[in-house]
Amino acid sequence: MSSKKFEIISLTMRYWFIGLIIFITLRILMEAFRTRQEQDYEDEGPFGHIIFFMVIFLASAYALLAYKNPSGFDKYTALIGIIAGIAFIIQYNLFRLVFPRMDRLLLIIVDTLAIFGFIMLYRFNPDLAKSQMKYFIAGNVALLFFILFTYKIRMNEIFSYILMGLACVLLLLPIIFGKEIFGAKNWISIKGYSLQPSEFVKIILIFIFATWFREENKFREHLPAFIFAGVAILLVVLQRDLGAALLYFYIFIFVYYIATSDWIIVLLAGGAAVLGSVASYHLFSHIRVRVEAWKNPWRDIENKGYQIAHSLIAISSGGLIGTGLGLGSPQVVPAFKTDFIFATICEEFGIISGFCIIGLYAMIVIRGVSIALRNKDPYKALLAFGATVALTLQAFTIIGGVIKMIPLTGVTMPFVSYGGSSMVTSLALVGVLEGVAIDATDNSNEDGAEEDDYKEDQAFGEGV
Amino acid sequence: MKGLEKNLKKGLVVLLAAFILLAVYYCYILFFYSDRWFANSYNPRVRLDSWEPKVIPGDIKDRNGKLLATTVKEKRQNPQTQQKQVYYYRSYLGGGEQARSIAHVVGFNNSQWGRSGVEALQVKYLMGYNNPFYERVYQKIFLSTEVGNTLHLTIDLALQQYIDDVLGSNKGSVVVMNAQTGEILAMVSHPTFNPNRLENIEGDILLNRATEGLFMPGSVFKVIVAASALDNLEHISDNIFDCQGEIQTGSQGISCYGGESHGQVNLKEAITVSCNGYFVDTATKLGKEKLLKTAEAFGFNQDFIFPDLKLAASPLPLKGSVSKEKLALISIGQGDVQVTPLHMAMIASAIANDGIMMEPKLVYEVVGRNGKAQVKLQPNIYRKAMRLESARLIQEMLKNVVDQGTGKAAALKGWQVAGKTGTAEISNGESEIKNNAWFIGFVPGNKSKLAIAVVLEDLPEGQTGGRMAAPLAGKIFKKALDLGY
Repeated sequence: MSSKKFEIISLTMRYWFIGLIIFITLRILMEAFRTRQEQDYEDEGPFGHIIFFMVIFLASAYALLAYKNPSGFDKYTALIGIIAGIAFIIQYNLFRLVFPRMDRLLLIIVDTLAIFGFIMLYRFNPDLAKSQMKYFIAGNVALLFFILFTYKIRMNEIFSYILMGLACVLLLLPIIFGKEIFGAKNWISIKGYSLQPSEFVKIILIFIFATWFREENKFREHLPAFIFAGVAILLVVLQRDLGAALLYFYIFIFVYYIATSDWIIVLLAGGAAVLGSVASYHLFSHIRVRVEAWKNPWRDIENKGYQIAHSLIAISSGGLIGTGLGLGSPQVVPAFKTDFIFATICEEFGIISGFCIIGLYAMIVIRGVSIALRNKDPYKALLAFGATVALTLQAFTIIGGVIKMIPLTGVTMPFVSYGGSSMVTSLALVGVLEGVAIDATDNSNEDGAEEDDYKEDQAFGEGV
Repeated sequence: MKGLEKNLKKGLVVLLAAFILLAVYYCYILFFYSDRWFANSYNPRVRLDSWEPKVIPGDIKDRNGKLLATTVKEKRQNPQTQQKQVYYYRSYLGGGEQARSIAHVVGFNNSQWGRSGVEALQVKYLMGYNNPFYERVYQKIFLSTEVGNTLHLTIDLALQQYIDDVLGSNKGSVVVMNAQTGEILAMVSHPTFNPNRLENIEGDILLNRATEGLFMPGSVFKVIVAASALDNLEHISDNIFDCQGEIQTGSQGISCYGGESHGQVNLKEAITVSCNGYFVDTATKLGKEKLLKTAEAFGFNQDFIFPDLKLAASPLPLKGSVSKEKLALISIGQGDVQVTPLHMAMIASAIANDGIMMEPKLVYEVVGRNGKAQVKLQPNIYRKAMRLESARLIQEMLKNVVDQGTGKAAALKGWQVAGKTGTAEISNGESEIKNNAWFIGFVPGNKSKLAIAVVLEDLPEGQTGGRMAAPLAGKIFKKALDLGY
């Protein structure tokens, strides 16, 4: 009988959840288009209450999951929900007080996505959510560290050579010591913890590119960065980590073009990438399998098309507002807690929630680029843009793959998917963005030429 | 850096465009395909669990309320728990051999063999997934097991069984539909199977030929060429062609059936006697673009997405460069053009319905637990296939085919039957030639126009559409008219 009671409560709560999700997304959307100057940063301003709705979402989802227990209401689950909620409020307010000029809306978007992850992971298995919370705390340390690092330390070419060496060592580790998981050899394990070095190298990549491309030099003077980009991509290809290779390539192309407007190199690199993909399509069977599964997952549903077909079935099983939390069958979807978590969210929270999540990532684009635009220092602007590209195109790659828009490439969904390397890296990238944001505000407060900046920001705000 | 700000804005546009594309694709693909994905027979969420069902699937009935499929309870020994337990399974038409007549259209839902047909595609209704919130909560509180809804099909069981009888041991398919509403009254595919016993399934017996069988249309395709000519060529009705029994296009000669020469023919006469030369000549005058445009208006090369059934696309390879010889072959329905029987019935319907093609309908209504209809049939225009005046002219020509031409065998006393025969010749590579015999047509009917498509497969040489398919169509029309349609 208790399972029926849970089903009825969950069916009812769908309306509450979808209302909250739409409300939070719309409020974030309304604020995302404002520029800094319009926001009232002295008091809590126009959007301080969003965090409370997010916490209510988290706590009520955990309260519902507490009912899922067959032996009655599980107080422990409800308690975790409340503690996690309070932790979010503390985290948000601590950052707000320590760095009053940071882009708080970005933090709110990131926290919302993380809350989706916590709810789904607890629903799969409470232990997963608990580990994820640890990773989130570690990620917040990384966030803090990278705010300070980006703000205080200015990289130069010499220092970047050290980072290049570090990146190469990190990428070589899994090739030498790694174990193979799902056909890719991109993990190493240290004292029982599995790490994915290719995730951390993304951060290094962004710093290196920003350092080398900040000045419009001749092609020859950019050469070390080019060689490094090539070596890094080659090393992740050797690990058979296609997702990372694709992301490194995106980061390189976008940052390089933004810095230099050099169409020729971009076209050459793009051409090389196309040639490379065509060649690898013909050379490697596992890539052919992926492309075929993308073209028609239904033809060989039991083998090649299994992942995508079950992901699509899961998404369409929820309907507009979902089956209700805890009433879907996410276990059917392969890799449901990492790469395919989007499909399981769509199943239990509905198609509308999936749409809202796509919207949240799009708003990271808006906030990230506007941080880059505000900063007049090319190095900082490139850093912010690189971090934005890394975060959002990763989300685009995995969501596009899960809904069969593009061939599936195994990358995690930033902030939502289960996994420590992914969570820490993603939050570190947010740290880079926030570090640039703080700096931009400092500039504009001390700078005399205030008027112009203000106008440009306004124009940008309206233009979008 | 001067260009930086401009470039950053460009970057913003590119990244945002990527996400807008993602969101648009997400909405588009789910709007059109989510019901099909959900109904996929690999979806374990809607599998009938025989021992502990969460939901008992609802009944399937025909349009007059005759029971086609139901869920039966039985006490059986559970091999896992070694206890006597209630076992649930689906039973079709009383569980006997007569269920063969509805096997393809209704399909099956079996914990071992999966799902097919209506049992698969309409699983949303049968399992009650469309129920409103309060109904689902009510069932959870007051019923020991939740129940699905009853699905009424547009099929008439009496007509369906009659067609199954007259088809006998022939391979092939028959579709009868209401030309003005798109309701499918009968849809038979032979050979068939017994959905109550799925143990000995061999070959392509599970294939529903009506919706998934692709057949070469033969001369039936000439109605598309005629429609295109009437829509595109001026004074086509006055155009006279001198048939010498064979027409030469490039390196290939196409002769009329039996090498007969028809002499001076206009369009009406050409369609009546099914003169190949006339249509090769007309298709050459039309050119491939215009013919392709008309054929696509009739649904060729279209990815059919209908809510009630799955229908394979009918390929017409006229895109890109097409040789004269190939165009000539396609104009008489040979070559690489292929079509499903249901699509042919839709084409006949479109002509009967003055050029408007209706969406094929299979769901008559969905009735909830309390007897209230939740979904009712809503006729829906699929597309405008041809001009009204042209459709009227073709109707007259097709009447002439049955009155005096190749379709005489379909004529009925007291009713003006119209139609077109077709015979597609298929060589299987070993010099042996098999025929596919076609008849498509329509009759005014008691209430609204009825359309039919008949195809018989793998007949020996000499068995033409006029000789084999047309008399069958006549009989089936008579039965349908006797039943009051």
